[in-house]
Amino acid sequence: MSDPTPIIEMHGITKRFGGVTALRNVDLTAYAGEVLAIVGDNGAGKSTLIKVLTGVYQPTEGHMTFDGAPLVMSSHADAITNGIDAVYQNLAIADHLTPAQNLFLGSELTKRVMGIPILDNREMTEQATAVLKDRLGVQLKSMDVMTESLSGGQRQAVAIARAVRHDDLRVLVMDEPTAALGPQETARTLKLIEVLKDQGLAVIVISHALDDVFEISDRIHVMRRGECAGVVRTAETTSQEVLGLITGANLTQGGAAA
Amino acid sequence: MSAAATPTSLAARIEPYMGILGPMAMIAMIALFMGAVEPARYFRMSNINQILLDAALYMPMAMAMTFVITQRGIDLSIGSVAALSAIMMAFLIKQYDFPAWVAVIICLALGAGMGLINGLVITVFRVPDLIGTLAMDLVYRGFALVLAKGLVLARFPDLITEIGRGQTLQFLPTPVVIGLLTLIAGYILLRATHFGRYTIAIGSNPEASEMTGISVDRHRVYAYVLMGTMAALAGLMLTGKLNAVQATSAPYFNLHVIAAVVVGGTSLFGGRASMIGSLAGVLLLSMMINALVTLRIEFFWQSVASGVVIILSVAIYTWLQKKDRDGSGGMAAVIANPDNRKIGLLAIGLAVAILVLLALGAALGGPATT
Repeated sequence: MSDPTPIIEMHGITKRFGGVTALRNVDLTAYAGEVLAIVGDNGAGKSTLIKVLTGVYQPTEGHMTFDGAPLVMSSHADAITNGIDAVYQNLAIADHLTPAQNLFLGSELTKRVMGIPILDNREMTEQATAVLKDRLGVQLKSMDVMTESLSGGQRQAVAIARAVRHDDLRVLVMDEPTAALGPQETARTLKLIEVLKDQGLAVIVISHALDDVFEISDRIHVMRRGECAGVVRTAETTSQEVLGLITGANLTQGGAAA
Repeated sequence: MSAAATPTSLAARIEPYMGILGPMAMIAMIALFMGAVEPARYFRMSNINQILLDAALYMPMAMAMTFVITQRGIDLSIGSVAALSAIMMAFLIKQYDFPAWVAVIICLALGAGMGLINGLVITVFRVPDLIGTLAMDLVYRGFALVLAKGLVLARFPDLITEIGRGQTLQFLPTPVVIGLLTLIAGYILLRATHFGRYTIAIGSNPEASEMTGISVDRHRVYAYVLMGTMAALAGLMLTGKLNAVQATSAPYFNLHVIAAVVVGGTSLFGGRASMIGSLAGVLLLSMMINALVTLRIEFFWQSVASGVVIILSVAIYTWLQKKDRDGSGGMAAVIANPDNRKIGLLAIGLAVAILVLLALGAALGGPATT
C-alpha cells in the first residue's frame, strides 16, 4: 500500500506434522504501515502460519525474506531479535505483577548497588509509563496495581506495550486481539492497532470477527484447509466475498461480489 | 461489606494489606483475650522472650516457604531436612572434632543439597511437589534415624548455643536477630532480584513465564535450595536452643511453617507473596501456642489449633479474593445465596461444636494437669 517493498515475505511455506500437512505452499507478504488480517475457519492453518512467522515452528519447505534478505529463524527469540513479535490470545501476562513488571518480564532492568545487580523498579515503571503513553496513548490510573485488576482492554494494551517496547519492532502479530473483549474494549483495541499502523509497523491480525477485520485491515489474507484461498484488498471487497473464500462456496465470484 | 454504591472500594483498598491486617487482627485478639484472662503470666518479659525465641526458629523457614508457595509449590520435607542436617553437624562436632563454625557451614550446605535434591525430584523427574517432598521427608528422616539410632547428642560448643538461645546482643536474643535478618533478606530478594520477580511470575502464570523466556524449572530449584538451607538453619537453631538433637527432632515443622505463611496472606494458589505477612503469621502462631500453654490447655491441642487456623485463613483469603468481575453484587449477594447460607450455618455449627469441645477439654483436662 504505502511502501512498495514488503518488510516480510513468505514464499511457498509448507509445514507438515508427521503425515498431516498443516500448511501447503502458502505465500504471505506484509508491508510497513499496513494492517494485514488473516482470516479462515478453525483448522485452516492460521495459527500454524503465524507460528512459522514468529519462529515458533520452522517450515518444512519454503523460505522467508525480511527486508529483502533471507531470514531463517530457529526460535521465537530469533524472531524478537529480528523485530518480529506476537501478542497471543491469552496475552501471556502474569496477573499478580504490576503492568511495568509485566512489560519487562524476562528482560528486567537492573542497577548496581554496592556491585550487586538488583532490579531497578523505578526506572522500569517510568519507562513502562512512557511506552504506554507515547506509543499507545494509554494512561493507567495507577501503575502500582496488579495487572489482574485492569480491564480487558488495558491488559491488552499492556501485552501490546511489551511487544512495542523494543524500538526495533517491525512486525507485530496479534492473535484474536478482540475475542475476549466487550464492544467498548474492542473499539479501544482497534484504535491501538490503528496507532501502531500509523507508527509504521506491519501489523498482522488474526481474527474471527469479520466486522473488526473490515474496520481496521488494509488487506485480508484468507486461509482455507492449509492453503491461501486468496488475498483481497479490504476496500475493494465485501464480507460476502470473504465469507465465500473462507467457506469455499460461491467460487463464481462475479455473481457474489456484484 | 459496604453499601451497594461502592461495592468494591473498601474491600479493594484493604486487600493489598490483608496479609498484614489479618494476622494483626488475630494477634490483637489473642493479646486482648490473654490480657483479660492471664495478663500477669502472659505479658511477663520472660514470656514475651519465650514467644520470640519460639518464633525465631520458624522465621527463616517461613521466609523460604514464602518463595516456594508463591511458585505454587510446597515443601513437606523441611522437618526432616532440619533434623538430618543437625544430626550430621552434631556428629561432625562430637565424633570428628570439627570446629563449630566449619560444622555450621557444612550443615547449611547439607541443607542446600537436600533442597537441591527436592527441587530436582520435582523438576527433572516431574514428581508432583506434594508427593515428592513427602517421600523425601521419609527418606531424610530415615537417614537421620539410621545415623543417630536412638541417640540424643547433647552439649555443643558455645557458637551453636549462641545461635540457638544466645543473649549476647542484649536487646534481642541472637536467634531472633538471625530470624529477622533472614526475613529482611527475603523481602529484598522478593522485591529487587530476578529470582523474586520470576517467583511471582511463575506462581501467577507458569505458561506465560515460560513464553517470556524465564527458565521456570531453574527458578523452582532455586526456591527449594533456599528452603533446604533455611530448614538446615532452623535445625541448627533448634539444636542450639535445646543444646541437644536427636533423629526425631522437629516433627511438625512443615505444617507449622505452611500455616504461618498462609495465614500471612501468601496464596497457596500462587502469585501472591507477603514477607511481612509471613513474619506476622509466625508471630501469631507462636503467640497462640504460648497462649494455649499459659492457659494450661493440654499441649496436644496446639496441633488442633494450628489445623483450624490453616483452614480458616485459607478459606477467608479465598473468599476475600473472589473478584466481582461480573457485577454479581459483592459479598452481600454471596451471603444472600441460599447455598452459601447453608454452608455458613454449617461452618458456624462446626465452630460452635469445636468451641464446646475445647471448653470441655479445658474444664475436664485443666484440673488434672495442674
